[in-house]
Amino acid sequence: MAKEIFMPKLSSTMEVGTLLQWFKNEGDAVEVGEPLFEIMTDKINIEVESYEEGILLKKYFEEDDEVPINHVVGYIGEAGEQVPDTPPGESGAVKEQEDASDSRQPQTEDLAQQGITETTSQEVENEPAQTAETAEKLRATPAARRVAREESVTLAEVPGSGPNGRIHQGDVTAFASSNAAPTATPLAKKVAEAEGVDLNAVTGTGSRGKIYRADVEGAKQPVSANASTPATTGEKRVKMEGIRKVVAQRMLQSKTTAPHVTLTTEVDMTETIELRKKLLGSIEQQTGFRVSYTEMIMKAVATSLKLHPNVNVSLEGNEIVYRDEINLGLAVAADNGLLVPVVKNADQKGLSALTAECKRLGKAARENKLKPDEMAGGTFTVSNLGMYAIDAFTPVINQPESAILGVGRINEKPVGVNGAIELRPMMVLSLSFDHRVIDGAPAAAFLTDLKEVLEEPFKLLI
Amino acid sequence: MAQLVNLPPRVQETDLKGLLKQMWLIRYFEEKVDEFFAKGMIHGTTHLAVGQEASAVGSIAVLEGRDKITSTHRGHGHCIAKGAEVNKMMAELFGRTTGYCKGKGGSMHIADVEKGNLGANGIVGGGFSIATGAALTSKMRNEGYVVLCFFGDGASNEGSFHEAVNLASIWKLPVVFVCENNQYGMSGPVKEMMNVEDIAQRAEAYGIPGKVVDGNDVFDVMNGVGEAVERARNGEGPSIVEAKTYRWKGHSKSDAKKYRTREEEQEWRAKDPIARLRDVLVQEGLLTEEEADNIKAEAKKEIEESVEFAKDSPMPTIDDLMEDIYA
Amino acid sequence: MRELTYLEAVREAMSQEMRQNEDVFILGEDIGVYGGAFGVTRGMIEEFGPERIRNTPISEAAISGTAVGAALTGMRPILELQFSDFITIAMDNMVNQAAKIRYMYGGKGKVPMVLRTPAGSGTGAAAQHSQSLEAWMAHVPGLKVVQPSTAYDAKGLLKAAIDDDNPVIFYEHKLCYKTKSDVPEEQYSIPLGKADVKREGSDVTIVATAIMVHKSLEAAAELEKEGIQVEVIDPRTLVPLDTETIIQSVKKTSRLIVVHEAVKRGGFGGEIASTIAESEAFDYLDAPIKRLGGKAVPIPYNPELEKAAIPTVDDIVAAVKETLNRQ
Repeated sequence: MAKEIFMPKLSSTMEVGTLLQWFKNEGDAVEVGEPLFEIMTDKINIEVESYEEGILLKKYFEEDDEVPINHVVGYIGEAGEQVPDTPPGESGAVKEQEDASDSRQPQTEDLAQQGITETTSQEVENEPAQTAETAEKLRATPAARRVAREESVTLAEVPGSGPNGRIHQGDVTAFASSNAAPTATPLAKKVAEAEGVDLNAVTGTGSRGKIYRADVEGAKQPVSANASTPATTGEKRVKMEGIRKVVAQRMLQSKTTAPHVTLTTEVDMTETIELRKKLLGSIEQQTGFRVSYTEMIMKAVATSLKLHPNVNVSLEGNEIVYRDEINLGLAVAADNGLLVPVVKNADQKGLSALTAECKRLGKAARENKLKPDEMAGGTFTVSNLGMYAIDAFTPVINQPESAILGVGRINEKPVGVNGAIELRPMMVLSLSFDHRVIDGAPAAAFLTDLKEVLEEPFKLLI
Repeated sequence: MAQLVNLPPRVQETDLKGLLKQMWLIRYFEEKVDEFFAKGMIHGTTHLAVGQEASAVGSIAVLEGRDKITSTHRGHGHCIAKGAEVNKMMAELFGRTTGYCKGKGGSMHIADVEKGNLGANGIVGGGFSIATGAALTSKMRNEGYVVLCFFGDGASNEGSFHEAVNLASIWKLPVVFVCENNQYGMSGPVKEMMNVEDIAQRAEAYGIPGKVVDGNDVFDVMNGVGEAVERARNGEGPSIVEAKTYRWKGHSKSDAKKYRTREEEQEWRAKDPIARLRDVLVQEGLLTEEEADNIKAEAKKEIEESVEFAKDSPMPTIDDLMEDIYA
Repeated sequence: MRELTYLEAVREAMSQEMRQNEDVFILGEDIGVYGGAFGVTRGMIEEFGPERIRNTPISEAAISGTAVGAALTGMRPILELQFSDFITIAMDNMVNQAAKIRYMYGGKGKVPMVLRTPAGSGTGAAAQHSQSLEAWMAHVPGLKVVQPSTAYDAKGLLKAAIDDDNPVIFYEHKLCYKTKSDVPEEQYSIPLGKADVKREGSDVTIVATAIMVHKSLEAAAELEKEGIQVEVIDPRTLVPLDTETIIQSVKKTSRLIVVHEAVKRGGFGGEIASTIAESEAFDYLDAPIKRLGGKAVPIPYNPELEKAAIPTVDDIVAAVKETLNRQ
């Protein structure tokens, strides 16, 4: 029987996934663990891998379609199997579990199903033996098999570039010549194959040299440019996809649905700087990481949020949800776009733990290794551009959160202190909030408290 | 040789004893083949012309050595009359390498191209245009030979008959079409299969002579065919000679002959062409009873020897399978 | 060197051979003063006379058999059939007689004849005058099958066909008649069974016949713009087939596409594909073998439908890309 492909629930808050792209066409052979399609959730975009092997029989949704979780996206099975023409809705596997309590209902359903199987058994009979065999067998051209023999390559390990995953000679030679072969995204491989670009000659811009589609196209362009037009650098066009596409859609969504208000305040960081100096050694000893201002600020945000639950909220339909956890998102600039890993229960973590967690998540983000749940469940986000010459900015809320803190650089400025002008390390904080759920006064109160914690960090002990 | 008042000049010049011998050879050859098929000693199929010996022997008797024939699926008699060695013929039916076709042709494909036998033919009507082509060669090269094309009553209903006779006629080719009308095309009686009394009538449609002869009277056959051959050799074009005769046996093996009566068969057996020739020769004093019996015995012996020859001959090997094929 | 059309090359090959060999003659319908249905024999009756440029009645069965008979008795006839579709009427003589005589006579007897006939669609002649039935002939042991695509090949191959001691079916594609190439004035012979690499390439091998050679070369030129190097092989003769050249090419390119105008189902492409699958080249195949052939439909009259019934240059381009996984 054909197996359902369903929209996975990748986080506790995920309700729908947006299909970004399919990696397989109907009729293609699919192995267990092969990427089937890419989806965007409210948090991330991710490649969904197949749990089954067989032939992709049906795709019910196209790019940019939104699919509720657990709804059937398509079917994998044996060639020729019948599947519904229209999306059957929620996955049967899940429904069965839910219906399990009803003891009579399943029985009749079973009977009905048996009836169906019997009527179709004639057609199916021929197929199982055949496909059971082909399921184990690889599709590989004779030339690929010969080269695999000669090069002692295990064909099963070679990804096939041909139709239905057929392994061609080139796949084997590429595999053989590169145990240290460059890794590339499926899309990049596809593009490389289509454009005739040798992946070995492409420099990957991703972590550990991972090759992205743009890299492949970048590698290809100079060749044709050389051939025809000398040294004119035309404009480059890159299709919006992957994280870029997600970020774009989510920013637009946020900016157009949430009435943004941004409050700013200037913080004297003298004391925080002092405190950091004092804690550096012991935290480094404990965790191996040097605590940064970001973590100091995160700690202060967590402490302040606890005092202002009306800022730690999200809007779900007509309801304002007061989140019972303080999970701080940390905006990280990864190579391929903006990622926001989440430090769970930040208010309950000491600076050491917070530091270690932030460093780990930051690294994972930059290496594109974040797991879905590490990006899920945030209630408030901190975006720090202090490493640049940025004094202040108006951050865009990371929905479904309702507020975000923008952090500028620490810069010595003349400030009036007790009637005198002094140079103090000053830092601008900008709080953008969704005015639908948070009013100006409570937001201002939160920001004021935060400023005070940073100026008098001993308050963190409270 | 004594002067025969009752025989036409053409016949007087012929070795009449030789003709009798040939007819006996044919008779015994065919009876032997029939026996071997019945015993399962030889396989495939065969078509026997027992009772039709006079049309084969009489037609060929008027040919010169350089003349050619095309034969039919019922062709053992034509072969023997054209001078084939019965040893090689019998060996062919036994599938031996010493056979005319090295055991690859069998009963239906015996040929001896060098001696002017362009071959028997498994396709009914297959010989018409081949004979015409051979006659064309004769004409184009001025070789002076005549081609004698044997065919059956059934073949005259094939389209190839019409096309070839017409072509031979307009080109005035030296070919004589000899129809051995043995009354049945397999099981189909002539009267049911065509609406003319004589197949020879069809000649008129092509502007050539058509003549009916008694196919069981070797002299009548000789006269009729002889005239046509003479005409052909003189460059006057083809003719059709129809020899009315009868096949005593079935079409091929396993023929129950349900399509005809035993009485009819007996009527025709009474017109046995061999007995008729023998009687004439004895009556005319050309042959004593004893000589006649000796000829018969000789023929029988030769056929028996041919069987020994065939049995003693080697079978082809598998290596011979692909010999003589070029494409 | 001077240029000749394919049609002129065929005529020249015949004329030159006829000047030096009295045994060679042509027979066919309307080949005399009319010059043949396509004008191939135009002017030849004036030089060689009606004896050797033999106008025949509309009798494909008779003239094919006559050619067999003439060949069997020493001539070297060239038979022109106006349209290759009419080979159905000559089929018995080609398949049951010409092809088999040498073998079934145990190697005694040969049939040195050439059946020349225009084939293929593209002239609006519709279903009964446009077929490509060469696979039928190639299937029969004992017939050689030639399909030249250029004037140069036509002249050399026809000389070889006439010199051959066995029956040769010589297919001339109607749309090739007007194509030109450099043709030497002197006689020359291209051995039957020698393929010609019409274009060298490294990415994919196309084996194409007749007019499809030209279409494949067009496709190859187009594909070259995309950096795809196509090797185009014209086997020139289907029987005998130069398997070695094709095998070596496929070993080099790892990919094979067979293109012919004849209907794909049961077409000769299947034979070439199978030959490769059975050969040492199998282990070098890096894509499934593709066959492009005519659709399983009678050739229609409407010009657009007629074009759509057989492979186009675009079809070939697409097939190459598919074979290379480049769509």
